Order: sequence, then structure tokens, then C-alpha cells
Amino acid sequence: MSQMEFYPPRPPRERPNPARRWAARLLPPLLLGLILAAFYAYGRAGLEEYRRFLMPDPGSIWDGAFASAAVRAELLRAAGVTAQIALTGLAISIPGGMLLGILMFRSFWIERAVSPYLVILQSIPVLAIIPLLQSLLGFGFLPKVLIVALFTFFAIPTTLLLGLKSLDKGIHELFRLEGASWHTTLLKAGIPSALPSLFAGIRISASLAVIGAIVSELFFVSGDGGLGQMLVNSKIDFLYEQMYAALIVSAAMSIGVYLFFGWLGEKLFSHWHDSAGGQR
Amino acid sequence: MSDGGPSAIESAAAAPIVSFQNVSLTFDTGVEALRDVSLNIGPGEFISILGPSGCGKSTMLRIAAGLIDYTDGRLLVDRSHIAFTFQDATLLPWRTVRANVELLLELRGVPKAERERIAREKIALVGLAGFEDQYPKHLSGGMRMRASLARALALEPTLFMFDEPFGALDEITRERLNDEVQMLQLRQKFAAMFVTHSVAEAVFMSSRVIVMSARPGRIVGVYDIPLSFPRDDAVRFSPAFAELCGTLSAALREASGERA
Repeated sequence: MSQMEFYPPRPPRERPNPARRWAARLLPPLLLGLILAAFYAYGRAGLEEYRRFLMPDPGSIWDGAFASAAVRAELLRAAGVTAQIALTGLAISIPGGMLLGILMFRSFWIERAVSPYLVILQSIPVLAIIPLLQSLLGFGFLPKVLIVALFTFFAIPTTLLLGLKSLDKGIHELFRLEGASWHTTLLKAGIPSALPSLFAGIRISASLAVIGAIVSELFFVSGDGGLGQMLVNSKIDFLYEQMYAALIVSAAMSIGVYLFFGWLGEKLFSHWHDSAGGQR
Repeated sequence: MSDGGPSAIESAAAAPIVSFQNVSLTFDTGVEALRDVSLNIGPGEFISILGPSGCGKSTMLRIAAGLIDYTDGRLLVDRSHIAFTFQDATLLPWRTVRANVELLLELRGVPKAERERIAREKIALVGLAGFEDQYPKHLSGGMRMRASLARALALEPTLFMFDEPFGALDEITRERLNDEVQMLQLRQKFAAMFVTHSVAEAVFMSSRVIVMSARPGRIVGVYDIPLSFPRDDAVRFSPAFAELCGTLSAALREASGERA
């Protein structure tokens, strides 16, 4: 007879209780607090007295920037300018990218011709061509918008093309059986089916747009400035509290845009698409 | 019961709905997918096609429906009244059941009021009344297949193609859908080509069963199923049913050759 062994029963694993789940939710802000505390300590202890202004503590950032109505108004205005640059850039890259994605889907030759340049566009550091843009276009609104468009373009045609190509084969055959035209199939099957994928691309592009807008301003300190210009100017003026405030607002904008699009995607697609965050 | 020897050429009594006459398909690589397939299907006939994988069963359906071109022979068919169901339900996941059932009518330019009327009727017919506004994600596999059937029925087909439609479903769901497709067919009088791997399913559904063999795909046997319609559950346990299943299993084994 074979050797039998006793495998004891095991009680079902306990689900984490609400208190633990709350504690888990508090971890990220707690970590942030720790990092801030470390910075603060470094600013006090690690820097010589005369260089401490480089590392203002959270309290003086509050006092020197957010507590002042004038600085708050300036932050708001600068954020508005940055948002305008970002949105205008997206208004170029999203429709343009979608058009290119559709053309690449339509024609094998266009796809073949264009894809290497898309990859190149993605791989060359956009920063490196900024001087060129300056020489060509000057220091106005347009070159900044173009930089944002360059930053945000890549994700749009690639995600749309991926979505269009992954249309269910059966659905495609169904449309063929009805003799549906290419553009009917595109409008009624291709685009709707590709929307969640495209939306993931738009989400990435939108948060890149904020970064792109700020970066563009670092190079074009002229005219009505946004957050990027505020970063540069407050450094020049030794207003480090305001510089940190501009930095915080920039990060908040970028994160906010990302979260907003996540929420919007959930609203738009979760009733039929799994990756949008639905259950099942 | 006919012994249904390997006579490939069949004649239907009435004018056929679809007529394959020595239809062949040879790829440019020289591979023969189908060789000399001849088959007439009359109005209201239910034909199942059995055969090993790669024997060209689905290819026959796709040729008849116009999804694939054939390379030799003659094919006569009226494609304006063909409905096709796939292995999956192939519903558009972003459309509700109702909007899915209306889809093909929409593509044909049927006016909205008419579409809604037809959709309501067909949804009720497949037993999905009350689920019109659900998205496919929230339906079971069987319910999705029903929605797919309703979408096909909306075309009022005279020829209904089934490409292994219930293969992915569990046994109980499959049998219930078999019952219902049979009921629908008796009521709507469409002719059907039904591709399946299941001998029992083929016998239960069909008036005739075609057995095909692979490499090249060709018809190696045609078997009449003389059980009377409508067939209920009890038929599945009758001696005649068992005997037909036995005959067909043997034919299928032979058609599959050594590879089975």
C-alpha cells in the first residue's frame, strides 16, 4: 500500500479588516510626510546657514507662497497660461494623431512609410530641437505649442492603430457579409472598438502635455509666462518659496489631468470594456 | 434509414436554396482545401456538416456566404437572405442587446421604427425579453449566443449558416439552444448549414448529415436522419438515435483516418 500523508485543513484566510485597509490607504501620504521631513532635516542640518534659503521648509513655503493672496493669484494665472499651452498642443496632436492612425490603418504602405519616423520622433529628445524651433519660429506662443504637440503626438496614432487592428475578426466578417463599406466598418466597428485603447493614449498624452508646456516655458522666458516661467523667474529673484510652490502646482496639474482622464475612461467605457476598470 | 453510402452528389426535391456543383478551392500554394464538393440544399432542410479539423467544413460555409472565393466549379446561391452565426457570439460589446440585434438592419438601411419592431420581436423569440438594455459583458455565454441568433433572425433568412456556434458552451446550455434552434427553424422555415464537431448534435438537429474528410476536403458520406420533427428530449435517448450516432461516429472515424 502506498504511503499516505495527512494534509491538515487550513482555515480560510482572513480578509483584511477595515482598519487595516484604512491604514494601507494612509501609507502613501505617510511616505510623503517622511520624505518631506527628511528634506526639512537636510535643509536644516546639511546646508550651511547662508545656503538654507535653497531648501525652505514646508512651513515657509506655505507662509512665503500659498498664504499670500497675490502669490496665489499669480500661481493661478500662471497655471492658466500653462494649461492653455498644453490644451492647444493637444488640440493639434490628438486630431492629427488620430488622422495619421486611421491613414496607417487604411494603407499598409502609409504604415510602412511612417512608422520608423514615429519611433524616431519618440526617441529624439524633443529638448534637443528646441533651439532649432526658436530660430525658426521665434519666442511666441506657437513654438511652445509645437513642443507640446511633439511631446504628445506619439501615443495617439500608435494606440489608435493598435485598437483598430485588434477589432474582433468575427465582427469584421459580419460587416463584410453585409457588404458594409470601409468607412461604415470604421465608424460603426473600428473606432468604437479602438476607443478604450485610444483613450489610454490620450490619457498619457494629456499628462505629458502639462510637462511639455512647462518645459517649453523654461526655454522661452518671454511674454505672459506660465508655471515654467514662474519657476525660472522666482529662482532668479531668489524667491525660492514661490519656486517650490510653482513646482507643486505643476506636479498637481499633471497628476490631476491623469486622474481626471482615468475617471473619465471609467465613466465612458466600464459598462462594456474590462480594462477600463469594470469588474467581471 | 438510408445507409447513406459515399455518394457525393445529392439532389433536393424542390429548387435548391444553395447549390454547390463540383466546387473546389485550391490555394496558390497548391494546397487543396476543397475538392469537387457537390451539394444541394432545399428550402427548410437542416444539413449538418461533420468532419475532422481542417476538412474545410467552415470553408464551405464561408464560400457560400461570400467570405472566401472558390477556384473551380459552380456555386448558386441567393446571398440576400443569408444569416451567419460564428463560433463566438461576435456581439459588439459597446452596444446593448437591442442595438446589437438592430445592427445588420441598420447596415441595410432599414428605418428606425421598423428596426425597433423587428428587434423587439426577435429578442422575444429567443427568450431575451427584459434583457434588451443589457450590455454583452453582463450576459452569460448562452444568452450572448441567443442575442447573436436574434441578430441573425432579424434578417428573415432563408439560409442560416452556423459555424460551430455552440462549441464553447456547456452541455446543458448547448442542448437547450439546440432545442430552440430547432423550434425556430420549424417556425421560420429557413434552410440551415450547421458545422459541428458533435455527432449527437448533428443527429438531433438535422434532416441530413454530411461527413467530410480532410486533405483535400471532400464529401465522403451523406446520411439521411429519418427521425420525425419536432424532436424532443426523449429522442436523445431512443435506440434509433443511438444507432444513428453509432453509424455516424464510425463514418467520422473512417473519414479522420489514422490521425483520429
